[in-house]
Amino acid sequence: MINSQVIKDRAKITGLIRGFFTQQDFLEVETPLLVKHPGTEPYLEVFETELKTDRGQTARAFLSTSPELSMKKLLGEGLGNMFQICKSFRNGEGIGDWHNHEFTILEWYRVDADYTQIMQDFEQMMVYVLEGLGRDMVIEYQGNKYDLSSPWERVSVVEAFEKYANVLEKDFFSADALNKHCLNEGYSGQKLNYDDAFYWIMQNKVEPYLGRSKPTIIYDYPVSQAALSKRKKTDPRLAERFEVYLAGLELGNAFSELIDPVEQKSRMVAELEMRKALGKVEYELDTDFISALEKGLPETGGIAVGVDRLVMLLLDKPSIQDVIIFPVNQIFKKELNK
Amino acid sequence: MPSIKAGNITKGCYILFKNQPYHVTKADFNSPGKGSAFMRCKMKSVKTGQTQDFTYKSNEMVEELDIQSLKMQFLYADNTSAVFMDDRTYEQQEVPKALLEDKLDLLTADIECYIMLSEDEVLGVSLPPKVKLKVKEARDAVAGNTVGQARKEVELETGLKLQAPLFVKTGDTLIVDTDSKQYVSRT
Repeated sequence: MINSQVIKDRAKITGLIRGFFTQQDFLEVETPLLVKHPGTEPYLEVFETELKTDRGQTARAFLSTSPELSMKKLLGEGLGNMFQICKSFRNGEGIGDWHNHEFTILEWYRVDADYTQIMQDFEQMMVYVLEGLGRDMVIEYQGNKYDLSSPWERVSVVEAFEKYANVLEKDFFSADALNKHCLNEGYSGQKLNYDDAFYWIMQNKVEPYLGRSKPTIIYDYPVSQAALSKRKKTDPRLAERFEVYLAGLELGNAFSELIDPVEQKSRMVAELEMRKALGKVEYELDTDFISALEKGLPETGGIAVGVDRLVMLLLDKPSIQDVIIFPVNQIFKKELNK
Repeated sequence: MPSIKAGNITKGCYILFKNQPYHVTKADFNSPGKGSAFMRCKMKSVKTGQTQDFTYKSNEMVEELDIQSLKMQFLYADNTSAVFMDDRTYEQQEVPKALLEDKLDLLTADIECYIMLSEDEVLGVSLPPKVKLKVKEARDAVAGNTVGQARKEVELETGLKLQAPLFVKTGDTLIVDTDSKQYVSRT
């Protein structure tokens, strides 16, 4: 079992996160973990189960991969700023230092805002948590020092690709050009589609430079990688999405939320098609979610943060296995270590 | 040399990277939200000891080294290498100290080791996950004002020093985890 001091420290951290939001009058909500329509991301796999009643009625049901769709429905009801700290479930994951099939996610949504306010929220939240722990803004993690004071480093994806991977802006949107880069840098497989080539370069050439001494906010991703976020007005090939990296760990994923029902529906339909093509578990489009968008959401910024990873950083633990009570690898030890 | 899909790389295997033999120390599957499967690997050059990070697309092909694994007994270590003996053939094998990294102070004659060779070149030594080592010196200690676990430093027969519970005495045999080099329990 993990160290009991870790369990106590973890409770302190989640208490502080909760305090940060409640003192700003964000509403804490609990939305279902048992859902009919999980999110449509093509590369996430879901846990499937069956709902049964005493009268023998049944329904296909799934464990949610994120509370996003439910929370956006609440935003559609006018509930305003809100947050949730809950479990999310992603099947088909590898067992390693940064993933557990069941993990703790923090999501918050700020209305009349966009992703830039969310960047500030995250910076402020870390100040609040570190102060609450009686810690300095400079933390040590696995032998290296990281300064969490704001402002954090900010770099656009296009800039980062140019600076760290030598991909010129003019080549950034070309699958062919990215493939050429991959081949030059040691990739030896078949031709990659745009998203895969993008991620190959991102992981091998760009990520090692992010969050090296301060957290890095890397923003404006290609729109194919941000199905739930708004397109950038000044460049519709990009979406208003950012991620935060620190010490090689991706801590959070944020958007200026897409609130146009027509565009959202078409992106989700395309994603569900892709799920089918990839042989993933199939399910239907969440039409209640589209209806909520049709009712109208305010301009909203939102983010999902991996709480376990935050805990890893704050408690200087090299692996997520060190901060989760009874991780999957332990519960299913026999089956997973054959 | 067999080719495997990068998606099948596992921790502990030996592969060719840029034509040099590397020992894979970490292999994590990663599916970035909007991208398909990748394998993030950390590896160590067998020849130079330098570490290298690389993320493969899961269906990239990688050359896996054909490893021969021979069971051997540790005899002794001198300035440059550790000497092992195959207890069937009595043939001796020298392993450069650098390849043993920091595992030298876990080795005694009773431990079951496997020497990994590829085409007669020694790549490394594999130890069992836990070993038994005698305590050479453990001074009596009293718990101080500590909220955490009370521990004291003990020295084992091989020279290895580690933190152990206060009740451990000189002469006790301890079970030590070879990965973390930490106390597990007494026998």
